Amino acid sequence: MRRLHAALAVLLAGSMLSLPGSALAQERTVKITGFGAKSGVVRVFGINSEAALKAAAEEINSKGGVTLGDGSKAKFTVDFLDDRCNAEEGISVMRRIASTDAFVAVGPTCSNVAESLFGILQKKVGDASDSGLQFPIIADVAAKGGLAKISEWAFRNVPSEFEMYKSLIAWIRKEHPSLKTMYGGVEKDFAHSNATYGVMKSQAEGSGLQVLGTSEWLLNDTTFSTQVRDMKRANADIVAISAHPFTTCGVLKEMARQGVKPKLLIGLTSSSSIETLQGCAKQAEGIIIPTSFAPVTPEAKLAADQVAKFGGSADLHSAAAYEIMFILKDVIESQKIMAKPDTVQADRNKMRAGLAALKETKGLLGKVGRTADREAIKPYLYVHAKDGSWQVLHKPTL
Amino acid sequence: MDFYLGLIQIIGVHTLLGLSAYCVLLTGQVSLAQAGFFAIGAYVAGMLTVLAQWPLIPALAVSAVVAGAVACAVGFPALRVKGLMLVVATVAFGEAVRLFFFNFTYQIQAGTLHLGPHGAEGFRQIRYFPEHGWSTLDVVLFIWIVVALVMAGLWWLDHSRVGAVLRAVGEDELAAQSVGINITAVKVSAMTVGGFIAGIGGGIFAHYTTHIEHAQFGVVLATFAIAYPILGGLSNVFGTLLAAVFIQGFLIEGLRFMGDWRNLLFGGLIVLAMNVRPRGLLDAGTTRALKRLFAAGKERSGA
Repeated sequence: MRRLHAALAVLLAGSMLSLPGSALAQERTVKITGFGAKSGVVRVFGINSEAALKAAAEEINSKGGVTLGDGSKAKFTVDFLDDRCNAEEGISVMRRIASTDAFVAVGPTCSNVAESLFGILQKKVGDASDSGLQFPIIADVAAKGGLAKISEWAFRNVPSEFEMYKSLIAWIRKEHPSLKTMYGGVEKDFAHSNATYGVMKSQAEGSGLQVLGTSEWLLNDTTFSTQVRDMKRANADIVAISAHPFTTCGVLKEMARQGVKPKLLIGLTSSSSIETLQGCAKQAEGIIIPTSFAPVTPEAKLAADQVAKFGGSADLHSAAAYEIMFILKDVIESQKIMAKPDTVQADRNKMRAGLAALKETKGLLGKVGRTADREAIKPYLYVHAKDGSWQVLHKPTL
Repeated sequence: MDFYLGLIQIIGVHTLLGLSAYCVLLTGQVSLAQAGFFAIGAYVAGMLTVLAQWPLIPALAVSAVVAGAVACAVGFPALRVKGLMLVVATVAFGEAVRLFFFNFTYQIQAGTLHLGPHGAEGFRQIRYFPEHGWSTLDVVLFIWIVVALVMAGLWWLDHSRVGAVLRAVGEDELAAQSVGINITAVKVSAMTVGGFIAGIGGGIFAHYTTHIEHAQFGVVLATFAIAYPILGGLSNVFGTLLAAVFIQGFLIEGLRFMGDWRNLLFGGLIVLAMNVRPRGLLDAGTTRALKRLFAAGKERSGA
């Protein structure tokens, strides 16, 4: 018994001694929680987003952190949760984040998760008859068109693929007037790929290109011989592939095997990434993709280096996550967010109002416009795969 | 708190999915068609509340009846085969349903919005709960009233002559047939009841996720559906509930903090659970032991 008392006394003394030290060392922190797919076929997007959020947080912290509403300085910390690209899990993750002191969340990766998440949010701010969750979310990756319209609590920092492909097709028609026909390929079961193919096809038809047909496959497919055979039979001038890197590479390899050589190849925004080059650089040679990120400015180069330090790769999606941290910093400071446990709902309202009030933000490639329906108008350029890397092909005047 | 209530919603809906497979498993059949019935329920209920502006309860009733009717129609040809062949046949049915919704588009214009199923892009804006001011707690209570009713119904069925007939067919078809039990009628009835329950579960699922698409109703969901009663045990309906809590509450949500390790542990812990409790978490022996424990407790409190 005496020994037990002695041990307790030592523990108590130790904890008493450590208290002043820890209180002195304690500084305010603001935790930003990101979420997205860190498992499954699209896990690389979650890994890159997490790395980008952490890289941006470190960059901000190294310059003194963020100034809170009471004038104190705080450092950002980043937590990232895996939703496995599953809507049910995404909702659960969202509710988990909303049950903490968090006043904003960044994510998700997949458009199908965003559809569900944005659906459980209150549709119109201040609508007392709508019991939806009142929590601001800003998406970095989910790119399917028009998602932020679902709720006034939903925001996105993703590029407008409609504008990008409209511009790209018009540029191709101008630069390559001899190309008259197009054949499409689409990863049919993935919301983003499917929706974007709709944009590609309608823009092509609208610009006078003749669309000879479409081959379809699924995200988890590994063989593409039938689809590519149809593509070969069509013998179109342009082949447009709306698919993520995994199946884009599968199709490109099958095209090489069957000797399908279109005069011009177009890819999906999400495929302008390192994964495509790692998977099929040789077969992807020449593919043209519009993107909202390339390391062409000093800020973009720095971001790419920082993201790499955290084990990720900078592409149009992770660059959006990187930019979001700076957007959040600005909104926290402009809206005087307190980040205290007793001001949580007020902070959420301020964050929403601050994000909604933005007309323009700073992006890695230049200024990013904000629309009334909470979407971004991002600068973009066209890149093409050349000698195993992505190189800028053209920078359209916006 | 909202998080835990949301988790309780998920467990409730997955319990319904598991119970739909429980009915079929009682007759000794392994059906992977439950995800298909769940999908039918989800789309039918969603279309009725969003496009036809029906109240939720009639919409769920219709979705249950439609899913049950489809299960009945599928049951006749599918249950002519058994064992692995039935698994293949029901997987094929589930995939056929999924692919139907993959290609199914039926939209109406409502102001600036297009509402309704839109093929591969899914069906959004199924916002009955928030639009009618239901709080998360209201939704939890509603789901668990439905779960309690279904469990009570199945409990009663299990303890009636019908339950004895279902289990007799499950234990030994030949013996059951030799005492005059119509095997086909029993199996198809079980399939129909399973489809009915899956239809209700799917209908609720569509409303709490607010967006549904074909990919949610694939083989993985079908596997979960039969995993709940198998892991929980077939001795009574509570095994399925226990397994839904174990999988959704512990393996999926409880281990989320483990990051990438969660997925590895997920499979490993299920294998471990099946090895430690081969007849399910709540097998007949455990049920008897629990009953004795309760009886002893009652006697003590009475004394």
